[in-house]
Amino acid sequence: MVRNIVILGGNSHPKLVDSVCSILSIPPCQRILSSFSVGESRCEIKDSVRGKDVYIIQSGGGKVNDHFMELCIMISACKTGSAKRVTAVLPLFPYSRQPDIPYNKAGAPLSKQPSSVPNGSYTFDSVPATPAPGIPKSAGLANGNGLDGLSKRLKGATIAEAPASTPPVINGGDTYFKKVEEVESTPTQAPSIVRAFTTHDYEKQPFKNFQAKPGYKQWVAQAGTLVADLLTCSGADHIITLDLHDPQYQGFFDVPVDNLYGRPLLKMYIQQNIPNYKDAVVVSPDAGGAKRATAIADSLNMDFALIHKERRPTKITDRQNATMMLVGDVSGRVCVLVDDLADTSNTITRAAKLLKKEGATMVYALVTHGVLSGDAISRINASAIDKLVVTNSVPQDEHRRMCPKLEVLDIAPAFAESIRRVHHGESISVLFQYE
Amino acid sequence: MGDMANEIKLLSGNSHPSLAKAVADRLGIEIAKTMSLNYSNQETSVTVGESVRDEDVFILQSTAPNNINDGVMELLIMIHACRTASARRITAVIPNFPYARQDKKDKSRAPISAKLMANMLVTAGCNHVITMDLHASQIQGFFNVPVDNLYAEPSVLRWIRENFTDEDIVIVSPDAGGAKRATSIADRLDRGFALIHKERPRPNVVGRMVLVGDVKDKVAILVDDMADTCGTLAKAAQVLQDNGAKEVVAIVTHGILSGDAINILNNSCLSRIVVTNTVPLGDKQDQCKKLRVIDVSPTIAEAIRRTHNGESVSFLFTHAPV
Repeated sequence: MVRNIVILGGNSHPKLVDSVCSILSIPPCQRILSSFSVGESRCEIKDSVRGKDVYIIQSGGGKVNDHFMELCIMISACKTGSAKRVTAVLPLFPYSRQPDIPYNKAGAPLSKQPSSVPNGSYTFDSVPATPAPGIPKSAGLANGNGLDGLSKRLKGATIAEAPASTPPVINGGDTYFKKVEEVESTPTQAPSIVRAFTTHDYEKQPFKNFQAKPGYKQWVAQAGTLVADLLTCSGADHIITLDLHDPQYQGFFDVPVDNLYGRPLLKMYIQQNIPNYKDAVVVSPDAGGAKRATAIADSLNMDFALIHKERRPTKITDRQNATMMLVGDVSGRVCVLVDDLADTSNTITRAAKLLKKEGATMVYALVTHGVLSGDAISRINASAIDKLVVTNSVPQDEHRRMCPKLEVLDIAPAFAESIRRVHHGESISVLFQYE
Repeated sequence: MGDMANEIKLLSGNSHPSLAKAVADRLGIEIAKTMSLNYSNQETSVTVGESVRDEDVFILQSTAPNNINDGVMELLIMIHACRTASARRITAVIPNFPYARQDKKDKSRAPISAKLMANMLVTAGCNHVITMDLHASQIQGFFNVPVDNLYAEPSVLRWIRENFTDEDIVIVSPDAGGAKRATSIADRLDRGFALIHKERPRPNVVGRMVLVGDVKDKVAILVDDMADTCGTLAKAAQVLQDNGAKEVVAIVTHGILSGDAINILNNSCLSRIVVTNTVPLGDKQDQCKKLRVIDVSPTIAEAIRRTHNGESVSFLFTHAPV
C-alpha cells in the first residue's frame, strides 16, 4: 500500500492502468473522461487530489491527438485541483518519432497509401518493388494483375523512356514525374484512399499537387519541442516514459524526464525463450538503432549484425527506392531483430526478408513499442518474421487477436516500480541497470 | 516597422478551408502553401511550402465538430512550425474558440480547459489571437497576448434589418447568460426583449424553462452565441410558441450543430435557424432546409487587414464590412 498517491488513467490504455494499480495495491482514481457531443474532451476527477502526488498514465497510441489533449486537460485539472505534484506517465511518447522523419531530395515526407491487397496475396515488399539488380520481381509484376501491375508497368515504361529524352538528367527527371502524375490521376485509381501516410515508406508523395513555392525547399514541422512544451505548460512536473525514440528528446523538457528502458525485458525474453541464444545474432534493422542493438548483444555476449538502408538513389528514376544491405554474417543462424518502435513495420518486415534471403534459419523481431498502425498486422502475418515480441506500452489485445506471431511482454511492473520509487524519492537508476 | 515591407501570410488549417478561401479572396491574397495530414499512426504532420521568414503570419483554424482535438493539435503544430521558421508575428485566427465553454471551475477539480487552450497557444508561439463571439469575454484574460474578440452582431443586425422590415419582432435570449448579447441587439434595433430562464441539470441536457416578457403575436428572434446539440433552442422555441409567438427564428453565431442537432431542428417549431460560417457546416444545409448562413469572412478579413496595418479594429465591433 502506497499512501498519498493518486493514479489517474487516461482512456488510451485502461488495462495498463489497472495492472499498475493492482501492483501498487491502490485503486485507480475515479474520474469521468469522455467527450462532449461536439468532440471536446470532458474530464472530471471524482476523488480529491489536494496535496497528493498524482501520476497520470496515458499512452500515445490510437487517437493520438485526442489522447494527448485528454492528458493535458487531466494534468491541468489536477493542477487547479491543488495536486502537490503531477507526473505524466507516457509509456509511448506521442510524436516522439517525428524528429527523424526521413526526407527525400525535396525535403518532403515520403508516403504510401494503404494498400488494399487481401491477406493471402499480401506482399510485404514495398509497392512498387525495389527494382534493384538481383531482387526478384514481386507477385504484382509477375502476374501483371490489377493496379499494381498496371502502375508498375507504366512506371517501367517511363523508366525505359527517361534516358531516351535527350539532354541530361534533369529533363529525364521531369518527364518521369509528369508521367507518374498522370498515372496517379487515372480514374482507375482505387477510390478508398485514406488520408494517411507513413514515415518509413518510400513510394508516393501524399499529394502530388503539393509543390513548394519556387525557390523554397519545403520542410516538415517537427512537433517534438512543442509536445514537450505543451506538457510542461499544462503543469506536468515530471515525465516518466519508456524507450524514447531519441534520447535527446529528454533535453526538450525543462522538467525531469525518466526514460525507462525496455531492454531488460527484451533481454530476458531472449535468454528464456530463444534456444541456444548465444549462437543467435542480434540484428539492428537500421543504422539508427545500432546502439540499442549492440547494447543487448554486448550484455548477452551475442554476435551482432546491421542492416544498412541505402537511401541514396542510384539513378534519378530510382529515387523512391531504399535498398538494404546486410553487414555481418547470419547464414544458418537464428536472428533477433531489435528496434524501438514498429509502426507500419515496413522496416522490420523488409529486414526479415533480407535476413531469410541471407540464410537465417529463424527471425525474431523484438520491438518495444508495437504501434502496428495501418496495414502492419497483415504485413507481418505475410512476412518472414517468425515471432514478433512487443511490450504492452500500447494496447495489444486487438493486435494479438489478429496476429498469431505476436507475443506481448508486460511493462506494468516496470512502471509500477518506477512510480513507487519516484513517489518515495528513491533512486530509479537501478531500473536502468540491465546488466 | 522596418524598411522591408512584410506581408500577410494566411495559412489555413484543415478544419475550414472554405472560410479561409473566402478570407483570402477578400484580402486579395493566396493562401500560403501548406499541407497537413495524418500519419497512419494518427499523428499530425504539417509541411510548410513557402518561406514565412519575417512575415506577418495569420493561421486560420476553426473547430470542425468531432475533430476538435485534431484541429487544435494541427493549429499548435502550424504555429510552432511558423515560429521555428522565423515568422515576425503569428496571429491565430480562431473564429470559434475551442473549449470555450469549459471556462470556469464550476465544480471541484473541473478543468479550466479554455485557460489550458490559451496557455497552449501562447506556448506554441502565438503572438496574437483573433476570435469571434467568445462564449465568455473573460477568456480574453486567460491570454498574456492581445486577443481581438470580434462580434458577429453587426452582421446579425444587418440580416435582421434586411429580413424583417415591418414585422413586430422581439429579441429573446434563451438563457440568462445571453441576456446582455440579446439586449444589445434589441437596443440597436429599438425593439422589445424577452428572456427564457432555464435549469440545466447536466451538460447537453436541458431542464424546465420559464419565459419572462411578452412575445404574443410577435416574431420572436432567439439570439445566442452557439448552437451545439440545439436542445436549448428547440425547447425555447416551443416555449415561445406556447406563449403565442407568431413565428420563431433563431440566430446563433457558432452553428456547431453536433450530435442529433439537425433532427432536433427539423422537428422543432423554429421557422429558420440562422448561423454564421465560423464553423464548417458541411452538408448540413442540405439536411436542414431551415438553415441560413451569414457570411462573416468580410469581418475576419478586415480584422486581419487592420491588424496587419496597425489600424484600429474597434470599428468592426459596430460595423460589418459590406
